[in-house]
Amino acid sequence: MEWWEVLVQQTINGLTRGAVFALIALGYTMVYGIVELINFAHGDVFMLGLFISLAWFSLLGISSTLGVWQLVTLLPLVFVLTMLSTALLNVSIDRVAYRPLRRSTRLAPLITAIGVSFMLENLALVWKGPAPIAYPDVFPSVDILREWFGIDSAIFITTKDILVVGATIPLMIALNYFVTRTRWGKAMRATAQDRETAQAMGIDVERTILVTFFVGGALAGAAGLIQGLYYNIGMWWMGYQAGLRAFTAAVLGGIGNMPGAALGGLVIGFLSAWSDQYISARWTNAIVFSILIVVLVFRPQGLLGDRTPEKV
Amino acid sequence: MDARRGLGVVLLTAFVLVYPLIDRALGLQTVHAVSDGMIYVLLALGLNIVVGYAGLLDLGYAAFFAIGAYAMGLLNSPVLGSPLYGHAWSFWLCIWLAAGVSAALGTLIGAPTLRVRGDYLAIITLGFGEIIPVAIRNLGDITIEIGGWRPIERLNLTGGENGVNPVGRPYLPGVPFETDPMPWYYLILVIGALSLWAMSRLQDSRLGRAWMAIREDETAADCTGVNPISTKLLAFALGASFSGFAGSVYAAKLQAITPGAFEFQVSIMLLCMVVLGGAGTLHGAILGAMLITVFDRVILSETTFFTRWVGRSLGVSWLAAADLTLWRWFFFGLGLVLVMLLRPQGLAGRARPRARAAAVEDQMEPAVEAPRREAIPAWLRERAPTQTGDGAGPILQVRGLAKRFGGVVALNEVDLMVPRGGIVGLIGPNGAGKTTFFNVVTGLVAPDGGAITFEDRSLVGLRPNAIVGRGIARTFQSIRLFANMTVRENVLVGEHCRLHASVPGVVFRPPAVRAEELRARERAQSLLAFVGLGDKGDELARNLPYGDQRRLEIARALATEPRLLLLDEPTAGMNPRETDTLTELIGLVRRELGLAILLIEHDMQVVMSISDRITVLDYGTRIAEGTPAEIQRHPRVIEAYLGTGYEPDAITPSGTR
Amino acid sequence: MLALADVHTYYGSIRALKGVSLTVEPREIVTLIGANGAGKTTTLRTILGAVRPAQGAVTFNGQRVDGLATDRIVRLGIAQSPEGRRIFPRMTVMENLEMGAFARADHDGIAADLERVLTLFPRLKERITQKGGTLSGGEQQMLAIGRALMARPSLLLLDEPSMGLSPILVDAIFKIVQDINRQGTTILLVEQNARMALRVAHRGYVIQTGRIVLHDAASELLRSDLVRKTYLGEK
Repeated sequence: MEWWEVLVQQTINGLTRGAVFALIALGYTMVYGIVELINFAHGDVFMLGLFISLAWFSLLGISSTLGVWQLVTLLPLVFVLTMLSTALLNVSIDRVAYRPLRRSTRLAPLITAIGVSFMLENLALVWKGPAPIAYPDVFPSVDILREWFGIDSAIFITTKDILVVGATIPLMIALNYFVTRTRWGKAMRATAQDRETAQAMGIDVERTILVTFFVGGALAGAAGLIQGLYYNIGMWWMGYQAGLRAFTAAVLGGIGNMPGAALGGLVIGFLSAWSDQYISARWTNAIVFSILIVVLVFRPQGLLGDRTPEKV
Repeated sequence: MDARRGLGVVLLTAFVLVYPLIDRALGLQTVHAVSDGMIYVLLALGLNIVVGYAGLLDLGYAAFFAIGAYAMGLLNSPVLGSPLYGHAWSFWLCIWLAAGVSAALGTLIGAPTLRVRGDYLAIITLGFGEIIPVAIRNLGDITIEIGGWRPIERLNLTGGENGVNPVGRPYLPGVPFETDPMPWYYLILVIGALSLWAMSRLQDSRLGRAWMAIREDETAADCTGVNPISTKLLAFALGASFSGFAGSVYAAKLQAITPGAFEFQVSIMLLCMVVLGGAGTLHGAILGAMLITVFDRVILSETTFFTRWVGRSLGVSWLAAADLTLWRWFFFGLGLVLVMLLRPQGLAGRARPRARAAAVEDQMEPAVEAPRREAIPAWLRERAPTQTGDGAGPILQVRGLAKRFGGVVALNEVDLMVPRGGIVGLIGPNGAGKTTFFNVVTGLVAPDGGAITFEDRSLVGLRPNAIVGRGIARTFQSIRLFANMTVRENVLVGEHCRLHASVPGVVFRPPAVRAEELRARERAQSLLAFVGLGDKGDELARNLPYGDQRRLEIARALATEPRLLLLDEPTAGMNPRETDTLTELIGLVRRELGLAILLIEHDMQVVMSISDRITVLDYGTRIAEGTPAEIQRHPRVIEAYLGTGYEPDAITPSGTR
Repeated sequence: MLALADVHTYYGSIRALKGVSLTVEPREIVTLIGANGAGKTTTLRTILGAVRPAQGAVTFNGQRVDGLATDRIVRLGIAQSPEGRRIFPRMTVMENLEMGAFARADHDGIAADLERVLTLFPRLKERITQKGGTLSGGEQQMLAIGRALMARPSLLLLDEPSMGLSPILVDAIFKIVQDINRQGTTILLVEQNARMALRVAHRGYVIQTGRIVLHDAASELLRSDLVRKTYLGEK
């Protein structure tokens, strides 16, 4: 491949990775914005999204590539089912593990979140075993350039790439609509900006927090399903790495800032793809975490966030 | 009670000493595993310094473990051709070098990151915990290629994925450090005992108190003379060095180290030990470490055997095939969650307050004696500043002080002067900028302009703890004591900046250090007696009734040997009797000790009766300065407090422009 | 309509209110004045349920409200313009106003009130799409009051509406306060600016270090020198 072909290919890879990261990062940032908690277990909710979607597929008897008609009817169904499952999972985690600690220091819920993360990972390990699991090739993979346009190129764009973009964009549009136009969305934003005053407007803060976890969990589930469809493989430990990378994305964009999370996701997606290609996949983790550290130390408000000074 | 405890300790020590012999006699063959477990105990103790003492959540502690192990491995191994390998003293030297390297790395990592907020700091440590194993893995085969030029080809710095093997063993004449686990057991035991000894010395010292103070309330500690950054860094570096010791013993014992032994799970398991046992106490860390190790190595497998037996007996196939050891991380995670929800202080830690402190009826409090001038500690009197009359200038001179927060002007070119030995009141309506003024003078907030001179030296740019060192102490509007420390410890923290013991001094306790500590305790006691808390030295600060807490705050401030006291609403929430007592105390302190006092107050009667002069702020601007009588009649002051008049009919509904 | 009976409230171990009793009758403007730190905002926070009294009772329209959650108390018909305004900085003027009506479901009523508020505060109408954080202090105060009005409360709590405003704006705000009251809203006005507040109110309470020390018709309090003495610590 020519150098520019490599670049384009890796950029496409970066885009697809970035979309998934963005979805996960949004969940982190929404929860952080409203309760100032780093939900360490969020990456594992993403991982369980993949596992759960697999379960839904087999429940529905789907194990081979879907035809176009089935794609239009069954795939959205599995999306909805998976997203609902992970949404409920996330809400339960909050109810049981985080809510009792609402008034304590910032560190206590973080420790709890780590505990929950380990519990979820272990559950996945016991559920499906230690080896990576094969995800059925449900979504057809068609080389677009070759088959649809007849272009003979080393660049590989498939219908799966379309899937990622095609699923992520509507989700983000829906999320934006939810947050800016609906009652719950406005309650979320108000609570994140000033909890006490939001309460004085008659907003039930606890319920709003619940809704936030619900939506965040749903997005993570969607990301898990997309991941499974795209890569056809799932590992019980993937939540940890994906979670940290997505958290880096959220911090980079500005924690608490939703467009920032989307932007950060894309940036980290590109960076990780380029790092894999041009440096080495062995170093990518170190590079991403270095970015995380640098941002947290030198510009904790990220690219798009505002500085919030600590009160004395 | 103490006798029983002493007996318990003796029995435990005896048991620990003879255990390997028991094991050999019974053929249990557990000594290897127990020794490994003891290494983890050592690690937990090190982490306890960071998490438990200093309150820094470190999620990447295994990185220092790795550094210690690799430092020993690389320095004391033939793999990279180290000249230190192969001598009788190799191990004994390298263990100190490894600890030193870990400490150095801890300092390097900590210096830029420790000023970051707690939860972010946790993530940063996690990041380092990830980066270091990656680096170790990948630095075993470094090839740099630029164009066609290869300046570095297949450079091996760390042994890469394969690790380092073999690692040199310790050498003691007559003691074989081979496959027999006994010498290793005793070696680790000795190191462990020495570490425990050093740590208990650290805990019960000026450093230990400083760590606890930072953990309780970093800002208050800063304003009491404790430098939070250097103190945290010390905890970080010391914690790292213990990890370095543990790592080097681990490397020598295992004879081989690979990067896989230092992953995130190890850091979390160590965190579990410290959190479960009780962060902040030595026996808590040991207890947690022992419990987790026993759980991990013994309970899970035994329960698995039991469950399988039950399964076989009952004919339930999935029970018969169960493997509970697969669930270890689930149980660790569950343990973390349960501890945080039910008993956040851990099994052995000091209980943390959940509900508010008991609200005591003011009327039912026993009458407090008024402070007497005879009760003023002599040493404090000695430190008193030279009396006025030298013709010396004001002790505090503020000129043109300006501060903006965003678009809001908090302080607008404020001038203020406190004469030596004088009492100045600072009053003003809500939002006038009084607390901002205090915060700027004490270094918590940087001014945008203006000059602050204390005893003819500028304060601008100094950290809060440095300003305390210069001789300014403050109290807070909402009392900021170190709630879970005793009354005496609170005052001792105040003395921190006047004591000088360093880490070696604290650990080895030469006579000078012991004398200093004794003197400090005597002084603390005399201060407590002065403010009327003499018999409450061992009570936890948070259990004191409100009035006593205020007095403790003042005692703590006096312990820093100030020449200027900044009091922020000292009588807030007090009943009239307490207010009078406090007012007397303030007057006494000024009269007998010559301290200058600047006070913010809302209780006008107090301010007017006690102050020599009063400065009035309104919207950040000084609108009046004078004697109390002048201020009470000052038209601008009256206007500021009571408001201006208005003519209702002159205004149109939409408001004039 | 509103009654506090011997309320004691603590902040941590500080007793901020030491037996406060006051009443607000329908269609009145009652003002609670005092130097800062005296307990004015604590009183409002106790009414709204942000803090719970250790002793004493808060009754609204005959119903005990001390101990209820804030959002429930608000739904009973109390709205607040908080100290320091506390508008939602990243939401627009329109969204802030909408948030004020969050607890309501009658869309027609909400639309009508929106019209009413924007007529009352034309400056807000001009800036309807601007983010709250970009407004000036006076505009934010108007927005805070407008937002509270959007709840169509029976009792409006105003916490230091004059703070940080120029005298002309203060005049305007207080004139509006009177208008709102004439249109039927009962108001409890907490203020440090005693003169303004007493000119506008029917009755006044003076609070000092957590206790009510003076209580009279506003005109009487205006006339006497007692208020000045209380504020400035003369015996």
